Amino acid sequence: MKTLIKIKPKEYKVGDVVKVDFMAMHPMETGMRKNKDTGEIIPANYIDEVKFMFNDQLITKMIIWESLSVNPLMSISFKVSGAGTLKVIAKDNKGQSVESSEQITPKG
Amino acid sequence: MRNLSISAALITLALLSNANAEEKLSMSDADKAMYAEMLENNPAAMDVSEGEEMFNRLIGNAAYAQMLGVKEKDLPKYLAGFPRVVKAAGKVVTIAQTLQMVMSDRGQSVPKLESNEIVKMSAYVKSLANGQKTSIDVKSDTQMKEMMALGQEVFEQRRGGRGLSCNSCHSADVIGQRLRMQPLPDLGVNKAGGTWPAYRMTQSQMVTLDKRFQQCMENALLAKIPLGSREMVALEVYVTNKTKGNEIQIPGLKR
Amino acid sequence: MERRSFLKGFGVVAACTALIPQIANAAEEAKKVVGPNEMNYDSAVAAITGGKPVTPSAKVAISAPEIAENGAVVPVKVTVESPMTNKDYVKAIHVLASKNGNVRCANIYLTPANGEAYFGTRVKLGGTQDVVAIAEMSDGTFLSAKQNVKVTIGGCG
Repeated sequence: MKTLIKIKPKEYKVGDVVKVDFMAMHPMETGMRKNKDTGEIIPANYIDEVKFMFNDQLITKMIIWESLSVNPLMSISFKVSGAGTLKVIAKDNKGQSVESSEQITPKG
Repeated sequence: MRNLSISAALITLALLSNANAEEKLSMSDADKAMYAEMLENNPAAMDVSEGEEMFNRLIGNAAYAQMLGVKEKDLPKYLAGFPRVVKAAGKVVTIAQTLQMVMSDRGQSVPKLESNEIVKMSAYVKSLANGQKTSIDVKSDTQMKEMMALGQEVFEQRRGGRGLSCNSCHSADVIGQRLRMQPLPDLGVNKAGGTWPAYRMTQSQMVTLDKRFQQCMENALLAKIPLGSREMVALEVYVTNKTKGNEIQIPGLKR
Repeated sequence: MERRSFLKGFGVVAACTALIPQIANAAEEAKKVVGPNEMNYDSAVAAITGGKPVTPSAKVAISAPEIAENGAVVPVKVTVESPMTNKDYVKAIHVLASKNGNVRCANIYLTPANGEAYFGTRVKLGGTQDVVAIAEMSDGTFLSAKQNVKVTIGGCG
């Protein structure tokens, strides 16, 4: 599962509230779509849980459903409390999971 | 008689492109801004980054530039001019076709134009020209002139059971009218040429320009012109030329 | 000249009518398929609140397009006014699509470390409906806001 983490704005200092955009490459199958050729229903396959951690402390936990668009975007705010590692752990309903991280380096 | 009344109903529909309908169907500026903001997190960004990994693993800038006969540092400018005549091909080709060429030269197995590999790599390679302006030159030589003429012919050729051509829905006369609620786009504005491959939201995937042409043909009940054929490349030349000077921003984001 | 543009207009409509029967069939077929997490709006709200009242509030701001140009990717943003301190913060933001088969889109459990109660995403909408945000406050109350989104179908594929 390919992922992308973006911190906006790019430069920030301790105490600033930044936006964290997390995107994952995922089909987000609803379990309601049919395969055009075979007519068979494509089994549901969607990201169902995402955790945002900062220096191993849980910031935000998300329960996600199949209604999110393909290659879903999940964006939150985060108050920069210092330098460290922002980690995002995403898992889908089939048990596939991915961990991605981004360094938080406040200027001043 | 039945046919007549259906025709009458259709004509009424056709003339619906009046102010009242516009008001009901148009997105507000705030709505448009929300879609514009989506470009920051284009769902196809990950496709392009996959394309980058594949390209660096399978080909690389140096080998690619050498095959094209240009310096590596000149790649962005050169890529902005596609479709163009590439010496090694001896004819007008698209970026996707040059990827097939360089892979063939390197003795690698050559994926099809519609394959994941070529689609994603061609998006990445074109993104190297991001920020440049589309600089296709249809008068540069005889081959380009010929392809431009052929492209116009394909664009205007009425085909299929309903006798439709690309021009039926994309001529200057009908731009802005609505087709099943959606405004018919002017292919020459809104950076159309510089923004394919693009993520098509209705398809939930990244789509190349030639594939988009095929989707259009399918819906207009026209036989699909094969990818990579002379006619398809010519159509890409003709449509890209309408957008000459537009800034390249890959991947695009389309309805 | 008039005749020419008349014929062109007709051509455009002829092209779109070719699609209508297909769409109708697709809609009928879709009706037969029940998703794995089917849940209606009232049940989903009850599951979130445990039966407590939900108050519409200006503190909750939801932004989504009034007219979505497609139902597959509809941008949604929710912000809730809150100091986000340990004593007073937004515990959760729930996003619901009132008429989807499974109305639940996302349940976002926040902490004061978020600094601001915000969630942005994109949802799939099966048709014109309300997108609803329910905020669960640290004092146990529930506030909400909604935005109606008209989903336009059409265009040429």
